[in-house]
Amino acid sequence: MNKLDDDKIRLLLVDDEEGFRSTISKRLTKRGMKPVQASDGKECLDILEKEPMDVVILDVKMPGISGIDTLKAIKQTHKKIQVILLTGNVAITDGIEGIKAGAFDYLTKPVEIDHLVNKIKQAFEMIRLEKEKQKELEYRAKLEKKMIDTDRLVSLGTMSTGIAHEINNPLAIINESAGFMKYILGTPEMLKIPRRDALMMGIGKIEKSIKRAGRITHQLLGHVKKQESTLSETDIMPLLHETLGLLEKDIKDKQIKINWEIDKKKNIVWIDPYQMRQVLMNLLNNAVHALKENGSITLTTSESNDDIILEIKDNGIGIPKENLGKIFDPFFTTKSFDEGTGLGLFVVHKIVSSLNGKIDVTSKVGKGTCFQLRLPKYDKSNK
Amino acid sequence: MIKIPAKVLIVDDEKDFVEMFSLRLTEQGEKVSTAHSGKEALKVLETVAIDVVILDIRMPGMDGIDTLKQIKALHPVVEVILLTGHGSTETAVEGMKLGAFDYLMKPADFEDIKIKLENARKRKDEQEERIRKAELRLLLRSSGDL
Ligand SMILES: Nc1ncnc2c1ncn2[C@@H]1O[C@H](COP(=O)(O)OP(=O)(O)OP(=O)(O)O)[C@@H](O)[C@H]1O
Ligand SMILES: [Mg+2]
Repeated sequence: MNKLDDDKIRLLLVDDEEGFRSTISKRLTKRGMKPVQASDGKECLDILEKEPMDVVILDVKMPGISGIDTLKAIKQTHKKIQVILLTGNVAITDGIEGIKAGAFDYLTKPVEIDHLVNKIKQAFEMIRLEKEKQKELEYRAKLEKKMIDTDRLVSLGTMSTGIAHEINNPLAIINESAGFMKYILGTPEMLKIPRRDALMMGIGKIEKSIKRAGRITHQLLGHVKKQESTLSETDIMPLLHETLGLLEKDIKDKQIKINWEIDKKKNIVWIDPYQMRQVLMNLLNNAVHALKENGSITLTTSESNDDIILEIKDNGIGIPKENLGKIFDPFFTTKSFDEGTGLGLFVVHKIVSSLNGKIDVTSKVGKGTCFQLRLPKYDKSNK
Repeated sequence: MIKIPAKVLIVDDEKDFVEMFSLRLTEQGEKVSTAHSGKEALKVLETVAIDVVILDIRMPGMDGIDTLKQIKALHPVVEVILLTGHGSTETAVEGMKLGAFDYLMKPADFEDIKIKLENARKRKDEQEERIRKAELRLLLRSSGDL
């Protein structure tokens, strides 16, 4: 640490002897450190309430709240502050008790000023290190969470596919049974039975629910990996056009503007076009859904060494921060059940990972959302 | 218009499905036979005249695709409609290459089933008609040779 940083240390000097305080303060000021002063433990704690501090130099022997109690109070509410204790010559035990209570170190009076300055610098360095450690911990926790999330999504993907398969069979039986009952109720002999309408209504609800369940299993299974790989050299432009064509009605209804910022030469990727169509469909569908009338969708492509980067950006409602971590989870949705299953992005994530691609999202509530897809470039040499 | 019943064979290891589905088709006026495995299906085909087979792709033992191959080898004019869980679309497409007429996803829409069934039956009739004519021509030609 160099001299320049010394005046950045926020310093509080606590001692009941005014003469001692001003002498020490003057000497510290000469060395580029300007301490705030307090005459007892209570004043010290009051100041800390209002003003953030890095290092407190604290006399142990004071009237009112003792130095050790003050230290304990500081450590309880201001964990990051480092405290240097000043003890009387004979009271070494005070110093030891102080360190147990969380003091950085202790110095015995009379104080050698260079010694004190060094201690202050060390204490401040300690704060900096702790801060860095904290940051690293947070970063690692975040990274770990992200890794776990990916793993979790992959195994969830495998399981959901299996479940969807299994559900389709009983669903088909329910479907045939309901259809059969409906047929029977429609025969001439049944037209006059009592409460026929009630039965028909019940069957109608069953049929509607079968359709709904079918939509869910369909989403889950629509992307099942094909037996033989159909990865191919694919231009994403026609796929984008095709997908927008399927959404044409909604786009017209909302008068959504599509901005193309596409580089014509750069769009050949190594993917499975069938799955890619589903990815684009789910992303564009979300964008359209997030937009009000006259909103816009911007499609951008660019390239890095290995990837083609496609961005799908809307200026719609945006995604609140607390939801950003959940949107790729299966069944997470903010839409009503007939508007969304909550599987769209889950499937997108699954497909993109299986294509060795990456997906990222940035969003601001009220401003809009941008999904960024990175897909492996088509490279003749490694095929 | 009087409906000519189609002779349908339903093949699926899901017994409840086979039961309800055949009840429904029977009520529609079709003539329905059932089987719960590929082997059983082939046995039925040996003894009963069938227009269209509705065949589940995923069955234990001899699976749908193997069964399809056998049917097409032994009874080439019989049409086959494949039934699939959504995920096995690719298998369904493979099945089409092997000569299946069409495929349906479970749970299937009954109107869809009826249309596909009707079309499959039509194609089988046409096919038979063509064969008959060809045989007739052959017969005429050989008798002219005499
Ligand atoms: N472009 C977007 N703008 C704002 N919110 C979005 C956007 N894309 C996704 N979301 C949020 O993420 C949630 C999950 O999206 P996802 O596509 O997985 O499911 P869904 O759209 O709700 O239903 P479905 O699976 O039927 O598409 C949405 O409900 C929505 O809240
Ligand atoms: Mg969606």
